[in-house]
Parts: sequence; C-alpha cells; structure tokens
Amino acid sequence: MGSEVRMQVCSCLRTLSSSRDSGEIVHALRTLTRYLEDDEFTRLHYTRALQVLVSAQSSHWFNRSRDDHEEEIKKLWDEIFLRGPPDQTLLLLLDTISSTGACAGLERCVSVLEKFLSTGRLQVLLWSRCEGGGSYADTPQLREIIIGHLAALPSITSNHLHTNTPDAFLPQQYYSLLAASILDTLEKTCHALRAGRDCSLGFVAQVLGKVCIQGYSSQIFEILAPRLSSLTRADPLWQRVTQRLLENVPERCTECVITGLIRCLSGATAASRLMGNLVLTNKKAQFVLTHKLLLQQYQHPTRLVKSVLGYLALDPERRMLLKQVLRSVCQVWCNSSAVKHTSVEQQLYVSKALLLCVALLTDSEIQELRQEMLQCMLGGVQCRLDSNIVRIRRMGMAVGECLSHKLDTPGSQLKFQYEPDEEIRELKALMESPSVADDDDDEEHQPDASSSLQPEPKVQGSAGRSVTSEPGRGSDSELDSDDDLTPYDMSADQEKKESSPPRYVRDCLEALMSSDDADRVELSLQVSDSLLRKNVNATQEVSVQFSKVLLHLEDRFNTPRFHSLRQNAMVALTVTDIKPVVDYWTTEFYSLNYNLRQRLDILEVLALSAQELSEPIRNKHTGAQPITAATAIERCDDITHWRQIVEKRIQSKTRRISKGATQPVKAVPNCYAPVAGFFFFPLLRNYDRSQVTFDLLGSDHLVLGRLLHTLGLLMHLAINAPVASQMGRALLDFVWVVRFHTDQMVRRGVMFAVCAVFLSMPSENLLTELGDDLMETRAWIADVAENDCDADCRSLAVQSLILLDKNLKSQLQIPDTET
Amino acid sequence: MFAVACSDFIRRTRDSAVRTGKLLQNPRIKITDVTAVMSRPPPDPLFILRGSGAAVNTLHFCCGGDGPPFLYSGSGKGAIHVWNLTTRRAEHVLESHAGNSVIWLHTFKDSSSLISQGRDMRVCVWDLSEDRSTVTDSLLTGSVGFSQCSLLESRPGSALLAHPTEHMEEVSVVDMRSWTPVCTLKPDSKLGMLMCMKMWQADSGPVLCAGYEDGSLVFWDVSHRRPFSCLKAHPEPVMCLDVDVCRQKGISGSSEKILQSWTFDDQQNLQMHDSVQMTNPGVSQLCIRADGKILATAGWDNNIRVFGLKKLKPLAVLQHHTDMVNSVAFSDHQDPPQRLLAAGSKDQRISVWSIYSES
Repeated sequence: MGSEVRMQVCSCLRTLSSSRDSGEIVHALRTLTRYLEDDEFTRLHYTRALQVLVSAQSSHWFNRSRDDHEEEIKKLWDEIFLRGPPDQTLLLLLDTISSTGACAGLERCVSVLEKFLSTGRLQVLLWSRCEGGGSYADTPQLREIIIGHLAALPSITSNHLHTNTPDAFLPQQYYSLLAASILDTLEKTCHALRAGRDCSLGFVAQVLGKVCIQGYSSQIFEILAPRLSSLTRADPLWQRVTQRLLENVPERCTECVITGLIRCLSGATAASRLMGNLVLTNKKAQFVLTHKLLLQQYQHPTRLVKSVLGYLALDPERRMLLKQVLRSVCQVWCNSSAVKHTSVEQQLYVSKALLLCVALLTDSEIQELRQEMLQCMLGGVQCRLDSNIVRIRRMGMAVGECLSHKLDTPGSQLKFQYEPDEEIRELKALMESPSVADDDDDEEHQPDASSSLQPEPKVQGSAGRSVTSEPGRGSDSELDSDDDLTPYDMSADQEKKESSPPRYVRDCLEALMSSDDADRVELSLQVSDSLLRKNVNATQEVSVQFSKVLLHLEDRFNTPRFHSLRQNAMVALTVTDIKPVVDYWTTEFYSLNYNLRQRLDILEVLALSAQELSEPIRNKHTGAQPITAATAIERCDDITHWRQIVEKRIQSKTRRISKGATQPVKAVPNCYAPVAGFFFFPLLRNYDRSQVTFDLLGSDHLVLGRLLHTLGLLMHLAINAPVASQMGRALLDFVWVVRFHTDQMVRRGVMFAVCAVFLSMPSENLLTELGDDLMETRAWIADVAENDCDADCRSLAVQSLILLDKNLKSQLQIPDTET
Repeated sequence: MFAVACSDFIRRTRDSAVRTGKLLQNPRIKITDVTAVMSRPPPDPLFILRGSGAAVNTLHFCCGGDGPPFLYSGSGKGAIHVWNLTTRRAEHVLESHAGNSVIWLHTFKDSSSLISQGRDMRVCVWDLSEDRSTVTDSLLTGSVGFSQCSLLESRPGSALLAHPTEHMEEVSVVDMRSWTPVCTLKPDSKLGMLMCMKMWQADSGPVLCAGYEDGSLVFWDVSHRRPFSCLKAHPEPVMCLDVDVCRQKGISGSSEKILQSWTFDDQQNLQMHDSVQMTNPGVSQLCIRADGKILATAGWDNNIRVFGLKKLKPLAVLQHHTDMVNSVAFSDHQDPPQRLLAAGSKDQRISVWSIYSES
C-alpha cells in the first residue's frame, strides 16, 4: 500500500516536472489532490510534492498554458497548498519566498500565502498542536522552527519583498490575525475540555511568548486582552484556560508577556482573572511583578502600576507579596543615594508606587508595617528636602504628607507649605482612590460617560438666565443716579504718603540705614535705582557704603516688591561705580557671617550687572539702559533666564544653509569687556578655603551650583573680550575639581560653565589650553551626555560636545586650506 | 465724523501714554479703559486769595445783597478777612477774638451784621454797615471744644443760636434778640464730646442735628428739649455734617475714609442711606450746595472732593492746596452760573472754583 502511494506520487511528480502537455498536468494534479486525504502522503510526500509544484510552475507551465485548462490548473494548484498540512505549507512557502528572487513564481507563492492566511489555516495549524494533549509528534527542532516562522512571518516576508509586501503580512494586520487565531484555538480548547478531551496549550503559549519577545506584545494583546477580559468574567473555564496558557509561557518570555498583558488590561480585577495566582507559582513572574516593573523600570503609565498593585492586593494569598513590595519600595524611597543618582522621573514613579501601595493597605496591615513606613517617611523626606531640585523637594513634601496622614499619628502629622502643581495634585489623588474594583473594563465605563453628559444643558440654562437678568439689574441701578453730572478725570487721586521720597543719594542712604518708618524705607527703595543712576558723582562717593547697607537690608516692613527693588538698586550701584562695588561684592562673597541668601544675592547682582554692562553701547547720550528695572525676574528662575539668552545666542550663531549667506554681525563695543576680570577672577580665589560659616565644597552646594552658573554667565558675556582666554582657562581648571559632584544642581552648573567656555573662548586658544586633556575632557562630557541621571545635564553635555566638535573642526581645517 | 475724531484721539492718547511709560507701568489700561483716559481733566481754580497770614479756618459767602459779593474768612490768628469777589482784594481785615483762632463765621440775612466764634470761648456780633467794624454784642460760651455754632433765622429780626458750652457734650440754644437761653440739650447716654451740629426749622418747630465723639448722630427736638432719634453713623468721631432740608437727607464725614449719607422721615427717625469710599481718610468739613445737586468735602489729604448728592457718585478731585483743607463753602449767588465754591486751607490760601455751575 505504502509503496503504491509512493509510486503513484513519484510518477505524478515526474509528469509535473517534465511534461509540457496541459492535459497530463491536470490529470497529475487531480491525482495529487485526491491523495491529500491520505495520511501517508501528507506525512511523507507532501513537502516534496509542494517543492516540485513550486519549482515546476516557476519553470514553465503557467506562462504557456493559455488554453481551457489554465483555470483548472490554478484551482488545483491552490487547493493542494491550502488543504494540505498547514505547517509544511507555511514552512515551504516562507522558505521559497526568502530564497527565490523576484519572478512570476514568487508572486504565485505570495498570493497563495495570502490565501493561506485569509482562509484560516493558522487556526488549523495552532489547533493541530493543541488537540489531543500535545501528542503531536514533532521533533523539538521542527517545533522550534515552526514557532519561529509563525512569530516572524512579517519580518521574513518584508525582508525579501520590501515595498511589495502585501498588507496582510504587515505586523499590525498579521498579529491581529494571529491573536484572533489564538483566541479561536482557546475557544476550541474550551469546547474540547467540556467534552472531556485533553488539550495542550504549550505550543500556543510558546508562539505567544515568541511574538512578545520579538516586541510585538502590544499588537497582539490589543486584540487578546480585552476579549479575554470579557470572556473570563462570566466563565471560570475560560479563566482556567487563560491561566494555564500563561503558566505555559517559556520562562525567558514571561516578562514581555506579562508586561504586554497588563499594559493592555483595564484594571486590577481583569488582571486577577487572567493571571490567577501566577505570581505565587512562577518565580520569574513574581520577580517581574514585584520588583522589575516597580523598581527598575519607570516608563510605564500610572495605570499599569495601579493594575499591578491592585492585582497583588485582590487575593489574600497575594497580599503577603503586597507587604513585601511595600517594604522594598520604602527602602528604595528613603535611600538617599537613590535620590541623588536616579532621575527625577524614576523618583516620581517610585513615589507613585509607594503611595498606591500604601493606599491599598488596610489599617491592621499599616499597624503591622508602621515601623518601616515611619522610618521610610522620615528618611525619605529628609534627604529630599536636602535636594536642590525644586521638583524633588516638592515630591518629598507631598509624599511625606500623604504617608503621615495615613499613619495617622495624632497631632504630629507633617504639613508643608508649597504651591501644589499638576504633578503634586496627581500624586495626592493617588491616595484618594484606593478601591481596586472600581476601575474595571471599558464596557462598564461607557454608560457612566453617557450619563455624565446630561447635566450640561442645565448649566447652560442657568448661565443663560443669569445673562438675561443682568441688564434688568443694571437698568435699575441706572435710575436715579447723578447721571447729568459728568465726572472729571480722577486718575490723579492717589493714596497720600506720609513722607516724600528722598531727593539726594545721601538722604536715601540714611533712610535705608536708620529709618524705622516703613513708608520712608519703601519710598527710598523705590527711588534709589533712578537716583543712583542719575547722580553718578554722588553715588561714587558713597557707593561701597551704600552697597553694604543694601546687602544687609532686611525686609522688616514687608515692603511690596522688596527683593526686586533692592536688587535693582544693587545693580544700579554696580554699574554706576563698577570697580569698588564689584570689589566689595567679590570680597564679601567669601567672607564670614553672611547667610546663604546674601551670598546668592551677590551672585545674582553680579550676573545682572554684567549682563547690563555687556549691552552694546548704542548712544552715548542715553547711557546704559536700565534693562533690569523693567524685568522683575522671578528669583528662582534666573538660571533659565540666562540659559534662554545663551540658547538664543547659539541659535544666532548657527549657520543655516537654506538661509544663504548670514549677515555679518557688526562689532559694537560694550562696557563689560574691559572690566570682566574684576567680576570673574576674585570669585575663583577662595573657593577651597572653607570657613566655619561657609563651606562651598561641602554642605553649601546650593551656592556652589549658583556660583558655577554665574561664572559661566560671566564667561559667556565676555565673548570676544581679550581676557576671555584667561577666564576660560581658569574656569576649566575650577570646573575640573567639581565635575563629579553628587549634586545635580552643581553638575548642571558645571556643564553650563563648560558650554560657556566652549562658546566664548577663541577656538585656537581653546585647543592649546585643553592640550593633553582634550581627549579626557571629551570622554568625560560624552559620559555625562550618555549616563547622567539629570535630563538638563545630559542636554547641556550634548550641547557642549557639539560646540567642542565645531571648535575642533574649525581648527583642524585651517592647515588644510593653507597647504 | 465724530467716531473718526474719537478713534484718532484714542490713538494719540495711547501713543503719548506709551511714550510717557504709563502703559508700560500699568498694563491694565487698555482700550476699554479709554473712557477714563478721555474724561476731561479737572478744572483749575478760578482764582486764589492770598494774604490771610495764617491758616484759613472758616469761610462764609455773602453774595445776595445789593453790593458786591463778599467772602468772609476767619484765620488762625484771629483775623477776619472780608474779600470783595469783584476786585479779589480783602476790603477789611477785622482783628478779633484777641488774636485767637476764628472757627466760625456767619452773616444775618437782613442786616449787615456778622457773627463770629473764636477760640477765646466767645461769640461776637459785628456791625459792618457803613464801613463800621465794631463788636456790638458778645457772649461767653465757655466752650473749648471743636464744635462750630449754628444759626437759625426763623423770622427777620428773630434768630436762634445753638452753641457749645463749657460742658463738652452739651448744646445751648439762645434767642439772639434778648440773649436769653431757650434750652440746653444734653444726651442721656455717654456719647462723648459734641463735634458738630446744624439747626433748621422743621414743620414741628426748630430741630437740631448734632454729631458726637463716638460717631453718633442725635436728632433733637429743640422746642421739647428731647431727642427724636439717634444713629451710630461712624466708628470714629463725626467731624462734620450737613443737611439738605428739602430732601430730608444728610451727609456726615469722619476721620476715616467713609462718607456716610442718611435720611430722616417726618417723624424725624434717622436711617442710614448710602456711603462712599474715598482714597484718603479724614474730612474736616463738608457742604451741600443750595440746589441739593452736589456736595464738596474739605479733605485732610489737601484735596477738595466733589460728589453728586443723589448717589454719592464721585465727580471730581480738586488738587491745589499743599496742606490740609479746613473749610469749604458754596456761594449763595442768585444766578446759577455765578455760583462759586471756595476752599480754605492750612496753607494760608483760599481757592475759588467754578464747578458744575452751568446746570
């Protein structure tokens, strides 16, 4: 019998490969079609037959057979492919596609593969491996190959077909189809299980794992997850099947499958239905769910964290893990080194996880974990309050408040003063939605949404009414008024001040120095800016004394706009009598007994004055424009202010090809270039000499960060000045000492300063200065650009790398042009 | 045509405002506020009377007679100036009250006699007819308080004078013809010192409204010597008051920023009516014009303010004086366009204004 089949098949195949007569070919194809039902043929000869068919048709007979047999040949040909064992067909077709070049045969293969997919052969393939409890006899290698081909069909085809790839092979469509096939197979499994037959989900699980590990988890779970979620809601058998499927996923694929699944699920209850107690039985799943997703990765949306933690909280057995998660999250949150060395985004993510976790705990569990939480709160809040980044500080305060609220220590709840922004409000909102069950599937949400639309017209109605009632009231008040009398202009009517503003610099000084009269001090502050600029000679006589008074001036009377008025006056002093006042500032910066605020003020004033002086001298009659007076800069924002300026300059320096030739910038003198050294060098003098009250390289890193920013700005403003080279050299030396500082603010300052040096220093000097250190510097900056945890540092580093490379290029090209 | 001119004007105003930096400092001024920019500037004084030699404490117009219009002013050094408003010169200067401050002046309707109150605790009656300047009568009141007297001429030849006494809270009413005391009015409860008062003829007889140190107003029935009603109008002492008898409405000022108006019905019950906020606190005197349309206040902030009486709508702020304004007075011209407003200030000057006199 076996040999008879073989003989028949062999003769048919010979006919097919050699015959030129269409009648014979049809006959042979018919014979083969008949054998498709035969088990021996499908097992042993099918692949061979397909190979012959593919090669035969490519060689001759499709292009010649223009007779009445053509239709039939095509039909039979397709039938042999589509009714045979799907695994062999798939393998052969994909192999053929990837091995043959473009020709008519390839087109036939592609079209038959399309038909293969559209006629549901994938379901047949998957089901064939499910049926009968995995008794399908495959060698492991073959199984691996089939899974690989199934999972990678879009890649294989598009690698060879390039732009001619049919839509059905594109990932979006193919994986949707695959997902539907998997669903179909699972459904058949359910039926089979109900009928008492065994099934094996191993193959399907492997396919799923393979697809996910190749990065198509979102495509496949977009279809699978919602469908499974709704099916498992009603049917425990479906739950069992899904859980079984996930258990069978190979270990190395677990992470991708679970992440993809949870990302596409709409809530914790759905996750619980689909995954069951997988987290308890599968070590890898446990690691992913309790550690990796929460503490190592931070790109996921809050929804995912919520689902994961809610999933852990839903089952009494899994709650053990929830407590364990809380402990580890607490540990990470209060780790001061983590605060310093991880990015703000990750810290936000961990904070969210912590709050969500705490919100899910019951009172008794909180009592149990009280000690850990208290420790975490105290440590974490403290090291965040030490940070120089506002966002981190604020985050620490918000989380601290939430935790202490939850711990409910009577009378000793934390309460901070800060302006809540969007981020903080989001954090706080996490504490308010602890219930897991409320965030379920989309279907349940939709009715809510439609009903919530209804109140809107009512609101509109009331608004309309209020509009109509208004003219009535207005007309009522119009009656019986003093309308016939037109009022005169009363804008001159202002609050009377008890005292008049001082008219002389010395009066002003005296008022600021000794007056207990709030009005007088306010008036003096208000006029001091213009008074100092107008009376240059008088100012120069008392400039240093005036500076001293302003530096020590405290806001005793809660004067409105006190800080900007004082700062404007200080800037006015500095630009009016540059050398003595700048000397005074720079000396006082390093001297004893000043508070941080005063030192920061000095830096700000120096920066603003330098900025004002560096404005080009337009007209000798108008003198220096008081630019600072108009801009009341927010006190914490001046870094961004400087940066904006620098970026603007970088923009203006960037040559755009499309623009054509750039206009040459006209050189104009400014007042800053000759005195830049007075501003710059004294600030570098004493930084390593720590004092009792001021330790720049130690705990006072806030000032260090600002000092670096200020130096960078002073450097940048000195662009084109002769002294720029020396300044750059000194600044690079200084920066080298603190380049690996742990504080982000300081590192930002360092990168800013480096940027400023590269931007302002003449490139030939820059290269001679850097000399041997060039490669080391470049490596350091590249490292920062790649690895720093602070996004600002990274972008600044990238910017300075670009600037450095530009300098290098321009320098290395000069010898080329000369030779 | 008007619209074009108007928009042109708006543009020019804004341009000039930008040039002077007004808009930069105050971004709230936008096109919608252009009405404020467009309203006419406040008027300058018609003329200034200088030479009183001391702070001007009180003013009184006398323009109804046949002769030239006169303005009487009392100074802080006891001099009473008689200003001829046609020549704008002081016609006489009366040395009175032994050099003590003159705090109140009034003339009688029928005769050319003047009554003055001074810090020497006396009230003097002057005969000024035919260039005479002699004191014909004098009354020792004993008062060292702030209150000015109030004169009520019910019939020609008979007049009542209400004056403060040596008891701080007491008002005494005397008949001017015989100098016989008619009655004394003393509040039962403790209201503090008498601050100001005004007496007039109601249907039921003479009534008097008095303001006290604790901010209360008391309405007295002079003939029956009992109060009609009492009203706590201010938290601070009542500095001045004036009453529009026809409209049964009064205004009082205090040392705070609020100007309070009140009404009274036929049973003389006082009721709060309206109030208006001023920029700076303190009113030394206020005066309602005879036609009841506007009132003027003398402010401690050197400004004279003009309000509409009906709704207390602020109409003008007249800035001229460099020190506290002590007194304001409207003239009693028969011809409305001639009506004047005078203000006397601590800076020794009297400013004379013509404002809202057309209607």
